[in-house]
Amino acid sequence: MPSADSESPTKPVEDSASRVDDDIAVGFDLAFQRRWWRFEFAVWTVFTTLVVLAMFGCFGRGHFAKARTAAHDGSLDVQYDRIERFGSPSVVTVTFGPRAIHGGKAQLWVSESLMNALGNQRVVPQPVEAILGDGGILYTFAATKPPATAEFALQPRAVGGANLQLRVPDSETVNARIFVMP
Amino acid sequence: MTTVVHAIAGYFFMLLVLRVLARRPGSQMTPSDFVLVFLIGGVVLLATMENDRSETNAVLTVITVGICHRIVSHLKQRFPRVGALIDGTPLVLLKDGKWQTEAMGKAHVTDDDVMAAARSKGAKTLSQVKYAILERNGGISIIKNNG
Repeated sequence: MPSADSESPTKPVEDSASRVDDDIAVGFDLAFQRRWWRFEFAVWTVFTTLVVLAMFGCFGRGHFAKARTAAHDGSLDVQYDRIERFGSPSVVTVTFGPRAIHGGKAQLWVSESLMNALGNQRVVPQPVEAILGDGGILYTFAATKPPATAEFALQPRAVGGANLQLRVPDSETVNARIFVMP
Repeated sequence: MTTVVHAIAGYFFMLLVLRVLARRPGSQMTPSDFVLVFLIGGVVLLATMENDRSETNAVLTVITVGICHRIVSHLKQRFPRVGALIDGTPLVLLKDGKWQTEAMGKAHVTDDDVMAAARSKGAKTLSQVKYAILERNGGISIIKNNG
């Protein structure tokens, strides 16, 4: 009866690693190493560039990410982050102009991307009324006179571009293009 | 699904970062190595798990990383070139009494590192060393001159 050892597969011993000076089998490959070192340098260049861009806010939460837009008729001024990050909190600040406040209230229509892609968590102050329709939500806030500001706390839940539209009824629509980073 | 994709991306990103960090001599992990590994690991873990702290998510992540590791190990064994890409190749630091300065510089190895390794192998001077090789695990192998 053959032993267990004789049944297990074997192969002849040979140096698979390349030799240095035809003397020692090391597997050293200078040409490969030089290519790798060039790749390493390229990777660190990319990493450093990413960090520098991040410091300027190119990936959100920085100077470059901050944006501001306003209606030409002065009804609305919107401060937002043009670059958001998935799942990270941020705030859109809406300042109502004199034309937006009538009879002790200010109304603001916001496109439904605020709820869907941008994940609106809460509105401060609490609106008196929120009416769904026309592809968005019409908020009514109690207001006296300008300056009057409302804030929307966002937590984006979809990666990619989102177009946020805001307007005071019978006024110009303000568009805010927002990109959500993964 | 997201967890699996994030775990795969996290595994290969960590592999890349740890690979492009220059290999340093010494096969033991130093305190700074621990800081690096735990910090990077923790950050990648946060993005991988997101807000889902369920056991299902944790188990799926662990299994995914395990499968990635298994596949990479298999590829390394099957294709030596993959092994060289992922783990690197040994570097000759000293050959026939001459420092290989390019390799030493890129690997951040000093003469003292090689001398320390030589002493541990019983060599009194570097003239007794024919080859010094930085292995893939960070250890320095010393091959002495005959006689």
